Amino acid sequence: MKKILLPVCLLLGVVSQAQIKADDVKSFTLKNGMKFLVVEDYSIPNANMYLFYRVGSRNEYQGITGLSHFFEHMMFNGAKKYGPKQFDRTMEFNGGANNAYTRSDVTVYTNWFPASATETIFDLEGDRISSLSIDPKMVESERGVVLSERSTGLENSPWRTLGEAVTAQAFQEHPYHWPVIGYEDDMKNWKQTDLERYFKTYYAPNNCVVVMSGAIKTENIKALAEKYLEPIPAQPEPPKVHQVEPVQTGERRILVQKDVATPYLNIVYKAPEAKHDDYYALVLLSDILSSGKSSRLYAALVDNKQLATTISASYGESFDPTTFDISAIAAKGIKETDLENAIYEELEKIKTGGVTDKELQKVKNQKLIEFYNQVQTIDGKSNNIGTYEVFFGDYKKMFEAPDRYNKVTADDIKRVANAYFRKTTRTVGILKSNTAE
Amino acid sequence: MKQSIYIRSLAFSLACMIGLVVNAQDYKLPSYQQFTLKNGLTVYLMEQHDVPMVSVSAILPAGAIYDGEKGGLASLTATALKHGTKKYPKAKMDEELDFIGASVSTYASKESAGLSAQFAAKDKDLVLDIINDLLTAPVFDTAEFTKEKRRALLRLEQAKESPRNVIGSYFDKLIYGDHVYGNIISGTVGSVTTLSTTDLKQFYSANYIPNGSAISIVGDFNSKEMKALVTKVFSGWAKGKQDNANLAAKPITKATGNKVLLVNKDDAKETTFLIGSQGIARNNPDYVAVEVINTLFGGRFTSMLNDELRVNSGLTYGANSRFAALKNGGTFAISTFTAGKTTEPAIDKALEVLKKLHEQGVDDTSLASAKNYVKGQFPPRYETSGQLAGLLTQMYWYKFDESFINNFQKNVDGLTLDKAKSIIKTYFPQDKLQFVLVGKSADIKKIAEKYGPVTEVQIKEEPTKKAF
Repeated sequence: MKKILLPVCLLLGVVSQAQIKADDVKSFTLKNGMKFLVVEDYSIPNANMYLFYRVGSRNEYQGITGLSHFFEHMMFNGAKKYGPKQFDRTMEFNGGANNAYTRSDVTVYTNWFPASATETIFDLEGDRISSLSIDPKMVESERGVVLSERSTGLENSPWRTLGEAVTAQAFQEHPYHWPVIGYEDDMKNWKQTDLERYFKTYYAPNNCVVVMSGAIKTENIKALAEKYLEPIPAQPEPPKVHQVEPVQTGERRILVQKDVATPYLNIVYKAPEAKHDDYYALVLLSDILSSGKSSRLYAALVDNKQLATTISASYGESFDPTTFDISAIAAKGIKETDLENAIYEELEKIKTGGVTDKELQKVKNQKLIEFYNQVQTIDGKSNNIGTYEVFFGDYKKMFEAPDRYNKVTADDIKRVANAYFRKTTRTVGILKSNTAE
Repeated sequence: MKQSIYIRSLAFSLACMIGLVVNAQDYKLPSYQQFTLKNGLTVYLMEQHDVPMVSVSAILPAGAIYDGEKGGLASLTATALKHGTKKYPKAKMDEELDFIGASVSTYASKESAGLSAQFAAKDKDLVLDIINDLLTAPVFDTAEFTKEKRRALLRLEQAKESPRNVIGSYFDKLIYGDHVYGNIISGTVGSVTTLSTTDLKQFYSANYIPNGSAISIVGDFNSKEMKALVTKVFSGWAKGKQDNANLAAKPITKATGNKVLLVNKDDAKETTFLIGSQGIARNNPDYVAVEVINTLFGGRFTSMLNDELRVNSGLTYGANSRFAALKNGGTFAISTFTAGKTTEPAIDKALEVLKKLHEQGVDDTSLASAKNYVKGQFPPRYETSGQLAGLLTQMYWYKFDESFINNFQKNVDGLTLDKAKSIIKTYFPQDKLQFVLVGKSADIKKIAEKYGPVTEVQIKEEPTKKAF
């Protein structure tokens, strides 16, 4: 691994560039439009391959909800050269492991392997991207798997139930409206033709960014990519997601019943997409609110007033406008409305009084530590480089991020708090045992 | 927007046993030094200069096995170390650490208590001073503890909202019975309600002693300077004597037949279950071989269990098996979940796969595959300074040395088919199976009775203190 220096001037608020530089990421694009980003890192004798496809539940419509995620599962169920089960068996025989994840915006495939198995991994990926075979028998057993995945998520976390309800209220027209896993009835109804169309439309090499890090040489990777992946033909660009969520003009509220000890609360405000200029200030604002025990919401509501037992603010990258979320669980004997009002009181303090320079510097310091943590492993490198490339439009933005965060001022924080924490654009969800009262 | 992310499969941990499945392709543990302070504290130092950060891991003989009748005591004592010291009252400690982006967490596990920390190398003087202070001079502030206790009590109630959160404690109680390994780390509503700071102070003075503890520091520093710093910072910690240190050495009662513990959850739509038996202790000479065979049986995506219950039949999102090893014993468990109405086929299939392991064993190809897999997945387990710091304290606790890592590949490769056969026979149960089912009793009780005498308990009621 390249040595990375923590800037000595960190506490003075001037962030210099880490020594892993944008230049350390080598990039090339195959003739079919598939883009590669490669980081040579010999710290361990392993490597990885992360394939980011620009497809997620955002690309679905009512009737086929959950299909992106289901398709992610089907990518492991057999192709021309490596039939059913052979993808996993071959990979594991060669010392490799894999997983994959689906979000609203993207589907990502992850392979982790000893560097000596690199060519096998290319062979496996080339086979399934060029000639996936969708076996109806596999479709049926895999349908059971994702139905179980949906059910076990709901069974084990009230947040899943509440989150789905709140998101569906916050987004009424945009496809963020439905859950990534899909509606149960849609899950039971996906057709073979839906799957085939999905594969052809979205699993085109020109809709994919591949990131690899580890004990590998860029020139070898390029040769393997040309051999195994370049022959796969490009496809027409997938249809654009044309829905734009209309402006929200008033607070929305939703109540959900589940047998829980105390109420769960979710307050979400409309917020912008990752490419928006306010992204960095909003991320720091979420840290000021809930990162660490000295953060605003934790100190006030969990520690001092004891209205909540857990509280968190979260805001993350997305393709289209999203929400800034605050989640809390009420302490024993506390009314959820008292907790809700106390949260608004804390937000109001920032809207009127702003934040201190010390508070701002604290979250900037935390951000830099987080950055070093992310690039400490080859997996962290690949995942982050790919995320910046697809969500921010350029992997180089990852290296600019410390500087972007550092430029945020206390005035910026106050400004975005006022711009986005508005009653008219918020959605409030409460999950509790007794919804009849 | 809630970033809901759906992952293809739950993680298969090669080594749920603490520390690992190790292997390495030419992987050798980086050099480190070890020394003992006059007060008996063992210290490990390992330089890693990749990033300008430092990781600390500490292990202390203060786990839940010493709870006695006061379930949750070890856990809350560990948590309360962060309630402040005279020099660093809680608010000051939180602010100082948050400002520099440092994390310091304290926790108790079954056998030990632990601390892990991560911070920028330039902050080492401050953070080590805070760590020393909270380990050696905690004040156990009553007001803070009252708040912590309220949160802990609610967490115990909330845990019952998720079968996955509570099934492990029921299983341990079922397997270990009255042995202290059956103690529930988080305690119960009943036991936590009675705890006070007086209990914490007593537990602390009895068990937080430097002799019997270790601290490892890994990261961007100069070992010579760090040795001087550590010696200066931690030498004031007074030596102690722990009564009952060997509490866990008592034998664990063996099962005499199948047993089913049915935990009723009225609103359950799924059945979450574990099937298992006693397992192995961490120092078992067959530890690595057992892990390789478990990889084949239930430790990876193509394992026999996941292949049958997920891939072939679609009964579940994931099925796996694991050995959890402690100093004096351990457990083995098959773990999965399924819709309430498919409870019976899922349990039957799990048992069939176990039977198949015994009847058909493993062949050359599958054994080679498992060996390649555990070796290939090894190096990323020791990639970061935090992982290495954790490894060093595990080495201290379980009394193994770097040969475990450095010879891992050799040990994996040395596993023959004959040996594999005897591993299966010796360590994977064939009968006297112990079942825990969390689900809706009204729908699955009849099914449960098929597998052995059933004891039914309610998820909402206080867990019994007695062995099942």
